[in-house]
Amino acid sequence: MDLLLLAERENTLIGQDFLTWLWFKSEIVNGMFETADGEKFMLYLEHRISVQGGDGENVDTATVSAASGNMSEALQGLKTGKKVTRAQIKMEIDENLWQTQVKAEDFTFSGLKTPKVEMKTEEGDDPDGKFLEKIYLIEKCIALFDAVFLEFIKLRISPEWKDEVSKFRSWLRSIEE
Amino acid sequence: MPILSASVGLTRYRVVEEVPDSLIREIPELLSKFAFKDIDHTAEERSFGWVNFDDMLDDKWSVSPPEKGQYFTFSLRLDTRRIQPAVLKKHLQIALNHEMAEAKKEGKNFISRDRKREIKDQVTLKLRARSLPIPAVFDVVWNVPENRLYLATTNAKIMDMFEEYFDNTFQLNLEPLTPFFLAMDKLGEEAVQKLESLDPTIFVG
Repeated sequence: MDLLLLAERENTLIGQDFLTWLWFKSEIVNGMFETADGEKFMLYLEHRISVQGGDGENVDTATVSAASGNMSEALQGLKTGKKVTRAQIKMEIDENLWQTQVKAEDFTFSGLKTPKVEMKTEEGDDPDGKFLEKIYLIEKCIALFDAVFLEFIKLRISPEWKDEVSKFRSWLRSIEE
Repeated sequence: MPILSASVGLTRYRVVEEVPDSLIREIPELLSKFAFKDIDHTAEERSFGWVNFDDMLDDKWSVSPPEKGQYFTFSLRLDTRRIQPAVLKKHLQIALNHEMAEAKKEGKNFISRDRKREIKDQVTLKLRARSLPIPAVFDVVWNVPENRLYLATTNAKIMDMFEEYFDNTFQLNLEPLTPFFLAMDKLGEEAVQKLESLDPTIFVG
């Protein structure tokens, strides 16, 4: 198979499996994750999620954007075999907050918000200071996201993935009741 | 889109090839060589190229250098002339009416298809020369030591344009860090086969 075609199939498959798993995972660990260096952080899905199922001309999408946190329609989608195609993710370390929307098929980040960088310039400031602070915060966000993705992908290609899917199914059933 | 804005769209890349030190030293020069060329005083439909990250009017990097810490920063500027379809339609109609009046004087009752196309091209060109190009800027940050590159957009057309122009400028190929490529990057070559043969998970059952 052509590498690009293969990549397209794999991107969608891995991306959707990841975001779908992430919903479950972040719920059962209460959003507590850790980087490889042991830095603890919070990561959770926010109240805007798209789920999709079917293929070709029969793709069904349900997008839920609920300030109340009522995700029942998106959950209903999961129960009928849909997967997460887009999710709003929040990350926190102490008072620092990041927020971004991630697309499953290509992992582009839209509406990425980092903790605030003071934009006022004062005399004697390094002219690149703001940029360096901002890019540090952007790369931090990426590093946190990647830490969780690495945890997922290792599990995804391991024999333990089956167990993880069983746990996912129990979680999904438990919400029903 | 400026990376420094409060909310930004971001696409990540890695450079496929090893980047030699000699090329890294050449980055500022190559940026100037492939800098944006202004089309304000022409009738060109569009123009794109690199400009200073700190100032989109600076195509000579006189305001500041592209280096910031360990990063190279620059922006892809794209200027496009757009003619409103309704404006084109009106002026095309005027030109065609005029042409028809001329034709009638010569006893003809039609305008050939080729002539119509010619008139449309002329009208388009005339309108373009009268409209100002609309500028758009997409920031690029290249973290050379970490082999990471960020483009401040998620627009697929801009991404394509950027990837191609980056390749033209630096003779380097970019790989977008989509889920599959990111997984390969994180797990290394030995995982490729496993990643290629995954079946989609069935989460319900």
